Amino acid sequence: MRMDWFPRTPSGAILLWTFAALCLYSLATLWSVTEGIRGPYEMSDSGIAKSVFWRQVIWIGIGWVALLVAMRTSLQFFEEAAPLLYLVAVLLLALVLMVAPEVAGARRWFVLGPFRMQPSEPAKVALVLVLARLFSSYVSRQRQLLPVIASLLLAALPMALVLREPDLGTSLVYVALWLGAVFWFGLSWVFILSVGSPLLSAIFNFYSESVIHQAWPWGAYLLVLMAGLTVARFRLLESFLLVLANIAAGVGVSFFWDGLKPYQQERILTFFDPTRDQFGTGYQAIQSKVAIGSGGLFGTEYLQGTQKGLAFLPERHTDFIFSVVGEELGFIGAILLIALYMIIVLKGLEIASKARKSFSSLVAVGVTVYFAFHVIVNIAITTGLLPVTGLPLPIMSYGGSNLVVSAFMLGLLVNIGSRTFES
Amino acid sequence: MRGANILQARILRGLILLSCGVIVIELFVLQILKHDHYKGQSLQNRQVQLRVKPPRGRILDREGCVLADNVYIADITLPCASLADDGPDSTLTKLISWFDMPVDETLERLGEQKSAGRPRLTLMANADMPQLAAVEERRRELPGARVETRARRRYTESALFAHIIGYVGEVRADEVGDDDDHTAYRPGDTVGREGLEAAWEDVLRGEPGLFLKEVNAVGRVVGQRDVPLRPVIPGRDVTLSLSRSLQDSLSIAMADRPGAAIAVSLPTGEVLAAISNPAYDPNLFVTGISSRQWQALLDDPRHPFLNRLVQATYPPGSPYKIVTSLAGLEAKVVGKWTHYDPCYGAYQFGNRAFRCWKRSGHGDLDHVGGFTYSCDVFYYQLGLRLELEQLGEMARLLGFGRTVGSPFPGEVSGNIPDTKWYDDHYGAGRWTRGVMLNNAIGQGEILVTPLQMVVMTARVALNDRDLTPTFQILDEPSTPHPVRSLPIADENLDWLRDAMTRVIDMGTGTRARLDAIEVAGKTGTAENPHGEDHAWFVCFAPTSAPVVAFVAILEHGGHGGAVAAPVAARWLSAFFEWRARLGGEA
Repeated sequence: MRMDWFPRTPSGAILLWTFAALCLYSLATLWSVTEGIRGPYEMSDSGIAKSVFWRQVIWIGIGWVALLVAMRTSLQFFEEAAPLLYLVAVLLLALVLMVAPEVAGARRWFVLGPFRMQPSEPAKVALVLVLARLFSSYVSRQRQLLPVIASLLLAALPMALVLREPDLGTSLVYVALWLGAVFWFGLSWVFILSVGSPLLSAIFNFYSESVIHQAWPWGAYLLVLMAGLTVARFRLLESFLLVLANIAAGVGVSFFWDGLKPYQQERILTFFDPTRDQFGTGYQAIQSKVAIGSGGLFGTEYLQGTQKGLAFLPERHTDFIFSVVGEELGFIGAILLIALYMIIVLKGLEIASKARKSFSSLVAVGVTVYFAFHVIVNIAITTGLLPVTGLPLPIMSYGGSNLVVSAFMLGLLVNIGSRTFES
Repeated sequence: MRGANILQARILRGLILLSCGVIVIELFVLQILKHDHYKGQSLQNRQVQLRVKPPRGRILDREGCVLADNVYIADITLPCASLADDGPDSTLTKLISWFDMPVDETLERLGEQKSAGRPRLTLMANADMPQLAAVEERRRELPGARVETRARRRYTESALFAHIIGYVGEVRADEVGDDDDHTAYRPGDTVGREGLEAAWEDVLRGEPGLFLKEVNAVGRVVGQRDVPLRPVIPGRDVTLSLSRSLQDSLSIAMADRPGAAIAVSLPTGEVLAAISNPAYDPNLFVTGISSRQWQALLDDPRHPFLNRLVQATYPPGSPYKIVTSLAGLEAKVVGKWTHYDPCYGAYQFGNRAFRCWKRSGHGDLDHVGGFTYSCDVFYYQLGLRLELEQLGEMARLLGFGRTVGSPFPGEVSGNIPDTKWYDDHYGAGRWTRGVMLNNAIGQGEILVTPLQMVVMTARVALNDRDLTPTFQILDEPSTPHPVRSLPIADENLDWLRDAMTRVIDMGTGTRARLDAIEVAGKTGTAENPHGEDHAWFVCFAPTSAPVVAFVAILEHGGHGGAVAAPVAARWLSAFFEWRARLGGEA
């Protein structure tokens, strides 16, 4: 039997095997999560229904279909359909705000019978495609400002809608996708400075004003910036405008901060000082670290994790599934999982740099950034390196929308890879 | 774009690998370097040390009747944090409205509990079945609410043993011990506050146990068995020497009049009955006493909290003539039948006339007659022949002037004044031998407790200088030690017994006479600065082979012979019936 759907390129085959491995890893972990605990305990009720596991089995099946579709469809089609897909995605995001039921204070899901669909997930694919289409149509890099501003608007629209849901984690993914595309498109130092330095200014201002309530870090940053501009012999007008933009960004962040929901503010402040909230988001962070740390080198053994089994670990089937791996399979299991993701990310980067068409290259980078951002930020949250914000671990976490989108993204990557090496 | 993005690819790969490296290092730190710490944290998460309170020992009477035991009741409790949440859907608001409780009062009460450091707040103590069912059925709507059972003290005889048994209360903040020491008191623990509950706290309390339980994240116990770290040692039962039925008889005989009465079994010294009036119901303190009730008891002018047996002092009055006579006989300043100047109702000393209680006078009496009819004039003359130290020495020998050593908190020693005492209070040389007149008849500055009075009576009845009342019957009786006699000539004690018998037969104490049993006693009518005289009566019976010593005082009751002696008669007849029922033992 000829396996006509199976990619003939080595990189494509590796990606599919990796995806399969991650699917199995996810199912094994979800089985354990829904199993509760074995051993000398009166009850093995984990608090998370077994149906979670079986639903994920179905989603993985659907994911494979999505992957094959993305793999077999002509890239030309995606390039042409990008604006339309983007439009549909944005409309869905707007629609979900209007019709979706409120779940835990947020409107993120369309409910279709037993299944829920999160439109912010397919919007990631749409954004990757539309940004690739935009930047690939500007062959010349002489005129940077126009496409960059246009791309900013394209990214800002879904971002604003997702923030309204509210979903801070997903909106940060859009930022990452936009930064990745812009970066790949290529930028001058002037541009990087004029975008990057206000961003730094905003961070420093926030740290000064909202965390330590002292003015010196932001002040010091501004002084260093002005000194740097002088040393680098920037023109007076440019320097002046740059400093002005920095101050504006710093002041702007205060307004942005005031616009955040209290729980979002709390999460960020808790990151800087976990003792602020030992029972809320601080509790999640602490319990996750305890789970991972107690795993040790080899873990507590599969099905034996008590942090997981006795429900100390919140969101253990979704955003904090990595902590379960860390607890039950230890350092070895965690490194193995990270290695699987690194195969996808490094292969993606290789495919992106070797792609012959500008559009393909940009899509490949988008997929790479998507996986890299999700994986790194999610694991950084579970290990306490970043503040807690809702962000799934692609393929591993329970959740259909994210799984199908991740599979689809991977399909695009295999598609691009096979064309790159084919002829 | 091929080749054009090499720089960007390198930067991106660098960034990703760098982040990845940071994560791997962090994992290494968490899982390898700090593994032991987090392993411990994980264990701490699910292992909860549970302290189990020991059941408090019961208190029984000498016949095995339960006087104090524990009943198990259910409380509806809430976590302390629930007090802060007063939203319309909060557990607290719901329960208050379901049970139709007064809002402000309830919140104030819970606030007091919180500031007292209680781990959980008791919304409703001793809830009834419908209330418990309401909470259990609607658990999901009432996060934090819990039904907790606990042991509560019950005093079956209410006020009858109030001053003997006392009561228990909740520990105060300053009594709460170290958290590391599971045997120390914790907020919410019970501690003996008064009476024998306080005195025998160590025996009754027992020792809390310590268990390790495995719980899940919501605190539900999931471990199949508890790991005992320290066993619970239940408090030991204690058997009182008192008898419920004799106590009841004494209470009836006293008829709620303020005063005290106590009966001691001879020769053992076991207290059979002891009353201090007025009393209070100790159950008030365990079911929760309102501050209004508490204040009313505190303000009661009759002082219901005063344990008159050991905490109140009175002038002894005429029963002290026992001391004076014995001191005189021993000092050989008076003979058994010595006559002094006759009594014409008063005795002139210096420029002051000291009156006899009998205004018309007793006429000519010898020593026995002076004792039998309690003639003050006779004892004024005897007193003048005695040195202050001789009288004081006899008083102390018979148990006055110092605490008896009862288990009760706050026992006082009374006062037997000596030369030094008078020098301190009046100044050296500023007092005269005239004090001997008052001392001889048990007035003046002499103060005694009812318990001391019964000790005196028992010691002279038995000729046992060490006799001390006990309130407990020990499981293993201590080996009887050889009786030490009083350093008093036998003939003098025989004289006293004879004289005390005459008091009942023909003297002031005829109203204490029993049909079949010969009683020896002495009445007293103690003047005091607060009003009507105190009525005293001390006695033992039967005269020849005493089995019981008895003392009663009725505050401001009037004449001892008229008021206190009948109490003795009534109780003694009940006692001898009781004794006959038991076949002569006790």
